[in-house]
This record gives sequence, C-alpha cells and structure tokens, in this order.
Amino acid sequence: MSSTSSLILKLSPLALPYLALFCGGVFLTVCQSFGLLTPLPYPGGMVDAYLELLTDSSFFASFVFSLGVAAVSAASAVTIGTLLAYRIWKLPGRLATVALVYKIPLVLPHIAVAFVVLVFWSQSGILASAAHQLGLIRSMTEFPNVLYSGWGIGMILAYTLKGTPFAMLLVMAMLVRFDARQIQTADMLGASGLRIFFSVVLPRLAPAMHTGFIILFLYSFGAFDIPYILSESRPGMLSIQVYNLYFKHDLARRPEAMAILTIMFGFAVLFIVAYSKVVRRLEDGVRKL
Amino acid sequence: MDLSVCKITKRFKNRTVLADISFDVGPRELVSIVGPSGVGKTTLLKIIAQLDRPDAGVVNFSHPPTKKHPVIIVFQDYVLFPAMTVRGNIGFGLRARKMGKQQIGFQVDRMLDYFQLANMGEHYPSQLSAGQKQRVAIARAMIVNPAVLLLDEPFANLDRNLKMETARFIRQTQQAFGIPTISVTHDLEEAFAMSDRIGVLLDGRLRQFDTPKQVYFNSASPNVARFLGPVNTIPEDVFARFQVNGYNGGRNSSGVILARPENLIMTADEEGPGRIVEKTFAGHYSAYTIDLQGTAYTAYSQDDRFMPGQRVVLTLKPY
Repeated sequence: MSSTSSLILKLSPLALPYLALFCGGVFLTVCQSFGLLTPLPYPGGMVDAYLELLTDSSFFASFVFSLGVAAVSAASAVTIGTLLAYRIWKLPGRLATVALVYKIPLVLPHIAVAFVVLVFWSQSGILASAAHQLGLIRSMTEFPNVLYSGWGIGMILAYTLKGTPFAMLLVMAMLVRFDARQIQTADMLGASGLRIFFSVVLPRLAPAMHTGFIILFLYSFGAFDIPYILSESRPGMLSIQVYNLYFKHDLARRPEAMAILTIMFGFAVLFIVAYSKVVRRLEDGVRKL
Repeated sequence: MDLSVCKITKRFKNRTVLADISFDVGPRELVSIVGPSGVGKTTLLKIIAQLDRPDAGVVNFSHPPTKKHPVIIVFQDYVLFPAMTVRGNIGFGLRARKMGKQQIGFQVDRMLDYFQLANMGEHYPSQLSAGQKQRVAIARAMIVNPAVLLLDEPFANLDRNLKMETARFIRQTQQAFGIPTISVTHDLEEAFAMSDRIGVLLDGRLRQFDTPKQVYFNSASPNVARFLGPVNTIPEDVFARFQVNGYNGGRNSSGVILARPENLIMTADEEGPGRIVEKTFAGHYSAYTIDLQGTAYTAYSQDDRFMPGQRVVLTLKPY
C-alpha cells in the first residue's frame, strides 16, 4: 500500500463524516438551489431561484444589512477584545488571574446573550427602568428604541458581547508569547504608551486579530439565533429570510432559500480568500524574530 | 555625565542576589561587570536602568536621565522590533521624539553608514545575523544620544571569532559617541579588551573594581584570580625558588603570591628544582605542568622545545 493510500485510510475516520455531512450538505444545498433533488418536483427552471433573488431589491437590502451588522459587530468585538486583553496582560499577576472572568460570556449560548441584551436595552428593560428611577426620563417609553431602530444595534450589541471574549482569548494567546522587553525598550527609547501600542504591540497581535475578525464576521453574517430574537423585519438578516422561505412558504420557494445559502457560502469563501490576500500583501516581508 | 552606584542590595524572596554593590563610572568611560552566569549581573543593569528597584542603595547620576536622554539597555538578544525594518528600528527613538521625516532619514543614514548596515536598511530583523542584529540594537540606542548605555551580555549570541572583533567595535563606538557605558558579561577576554575598568561580581558581591590589568594580575583574592583564569599559588617558603624579589604582582593578605601561568618563565637547567610532568598544545602557546617540591605549577610558553621529564628553573616575571 502506498504512503498516500495509507494516509487516506488513517484519515478516513475523520474525513468520511466530514465528506458525508459537510460536503454532502453543501452539494445538496447547491442542487436544491437549482431545483434538483427537491422533495417535490420543482416546476421552474434551473436558475429561476437565483433570478428571483437577483431581481428582488429586498434581498440586496438584507445582504447589505447582514454585511453591515457582521462587519460592525466583528470589528467592535476585535477592537474591544484586543484593548481589554492588552490591559489585562499588563495587570499585575494576581489581578490578571481575577480578570479571567472575561471568559464567562464564552460559555453562554448565543441565545442567552440575545436575551441579556434584550433584558438590558429594551424599552422595558433594566437600563430604561434605571433611567426612569434616576429621573433621567419621565416614562420608560422615552428610553431610546435602541434594539429596533432599523440599524441592527441590538444584534451588534449581542454579537459584540459574545465575540469580545473570543477575540480576547485569541489575542491573549499571542500576548502570552509577547516579549515584554519590547515594551521596555520602546519606553526607554522615549515612545509614548500609544506609540508603543500601535507601533510595537499591535503588529504582533495582528494575526490573531485578523483570524478573530474573519471568524466573528462570518459567524455574525450567517447566524440565526441572535437575529431571531433581536432582528427587525425590514431590512431583515439573510438567515431570517432563509428561515422564512424554508419554513413559512410553500415548498416551491425552497430553492430560493437554498440559493441564498449558496450565495452566502460562496461569499464566505471569497471573503476569506480576498481578506487573506489583502492581509498577506499588507504584511509582506514582515517576519517574526 | 557620570554615575555612581551606591550600596545597592537586592533580594529575591529570602535570597540576597546583590549585596552592597558600589562603583562609579566616569564620563566617556566603559566599565564591564564580569561574573559567572546567574550572579545578578542583569539584575544590576535593570536597577541602573530603573527597570527594577533595589531593596537598598541608590544610583546617582551627575545629570539625572530624562525622556530625551534616557538610560538604555541593549538586551542580550537585542529585542529588535520584528515588524519594523532595520531603518524603522534605528529611527524609532527619533520618531518617538516627533522629529521631522527628513531629519530622521538623514540621521538614520548616518547610523547605517557608521554601523556598516547601509545595504540592510530595508531588511527585517529575521533576515539579519546575530552580529548585524546587535549593531542595529546599538545604533537604535546611540541615535537618541543616551545618558548611559547598558549592554547585557553583548557577546553571548556571537560566534567565537566574532566576539573580539565586536569588543573592539563596541570600544571604538563608545569612544566615538562618548557615552558612558556599562557592560555585563562573562566573556572575560572581550571585557579585558574593551573596558577602562572591570568589576568582578562573585556571590552577589563586587569583589574587585579596577583596571583590567590590575584586576587580572593583582587580583584581590584567590577566588577573583581563579574566576579570571588559571592561576598559581606560590607560598612564601618557595619565593626564593621563583626569584620573586621585586615582583609587584598579586600578593594577598596571607602572604602567598597569585601568579598567572604566563608570568612563569621556564629556563632549561639540568639542576633545576622543577620537572616538567605534562605538556599540552594550546594553539599559539603550550601549557606546561611543572612539579616543584611536590606542588604542580602551570606555565605558558611559546617555546615548544621543552619536553616532559626535563628539569627547569621557574622565574616569576613582573607584569
């Protein structure tokens, strides 16, 4: 048996479920988006579902809205996570141990985080109540309608809350290996705290930040649970649109749901490739010691 | 600018790492503190650089260091900024001072030329050899005109054949820039070659602080002498055998003379009191072990004609 065959055989316990579940799922989705392998015969043409979507302005509105929510929440989570991780890393040892409470939101399910945001930020929530009790607003309905303002702020808050500890975890892993003498050296050379952070620390954290951003962005772009609790009907997130098309319409519209999923998958792949290329170009020549 | 280190003591938990360390460094002077690994040399540097605090004692500067004229350590592994080019690393201190781009470029070019890095400006640290990294680190420090330059084990990561060349370069650079410099190292030859004065740190105490020649040939104690290299202990009752009259070298409080092997001169004499028992080739000299009244003495000689079994007279040469 050749070494390649032997390697494939050894990998098969992992590779087979992956092929069956992931690749099979993608294959079935793509097929159904073309009206093939559907539970009932699809009366339309092979690209009808795509034509339907591409001529529907609400699809583009949802696409752009989903992109916006994902980009803002991922960028916020990575930025806040990086700054907090750096602060914690600089704390004296004992305090840094206490600061590990930041990991708690990691174990909360997304849906729980959505409810946390709802409980705090809704017009009948804790913040509205506190503002009312403090006399800042006359009635709770005067509290700004943060969650349903049409900008997806509720979802952004939830994704940021959930994504920040994840970004911190990635950045912390880099900081553990970061040589603190670089900061001492930069300080001796007369650099301010800001210059040290941006010129010396940040370039070393960039790989973790990029990875964190890609993961959080793609998750927020396609996830369902938080939008289900916190999204608005117009514009809606793409995941909600898929859910509605799949479960709340007749079977004839399922290829449209599958077409959205296919477009989202294609976009995710393109995004990773393009983002990686840009980052590689920006960091061209920069190597670690 | 000069500085004096006064009675510095540092403890880690219950262990005293540095005890009562005092010495001073004059303007334009290069001082080396030598000692075995783990004796607290780097801790001493960090205290001088104010990166660590002593439990007792103080470091006094004739002109206290400022953000503009700081004390700068060049660490053992240089700690270059990996995401910056050589040019970026060297110019970092000037950018921190918000100097104009053109002026930074001019000064960095000068440094690149002086440190023989002119064609390396756009390289990243990972593309440099250890010697080049060290030059970048020293250039990065020198460009901001530091009050004091501290070198932590400057020869530790260099190939053997590069060490002496680097020592000369450091000496030449230090003289050219006129910056008081303290180096801690366990590379003795290089420390001797480049330093105005040397301190010997043993067991957390500064056992001797003097010129290299004085420290080497007139060591304050047998321990200091042995740390600096092979040494013969000549007891008082055999002084006559070594014709020590007029010898101005190390004679310690117990009356014995500490004599370096290179200070023992062998002369062939069939009636001589010493007998060569071993000869070892050591490159540019030969090491001889001579038995004299039951005690073994070591002598170095470039004369290769002596043979084991041969009788010799040993004479102590003043240094």
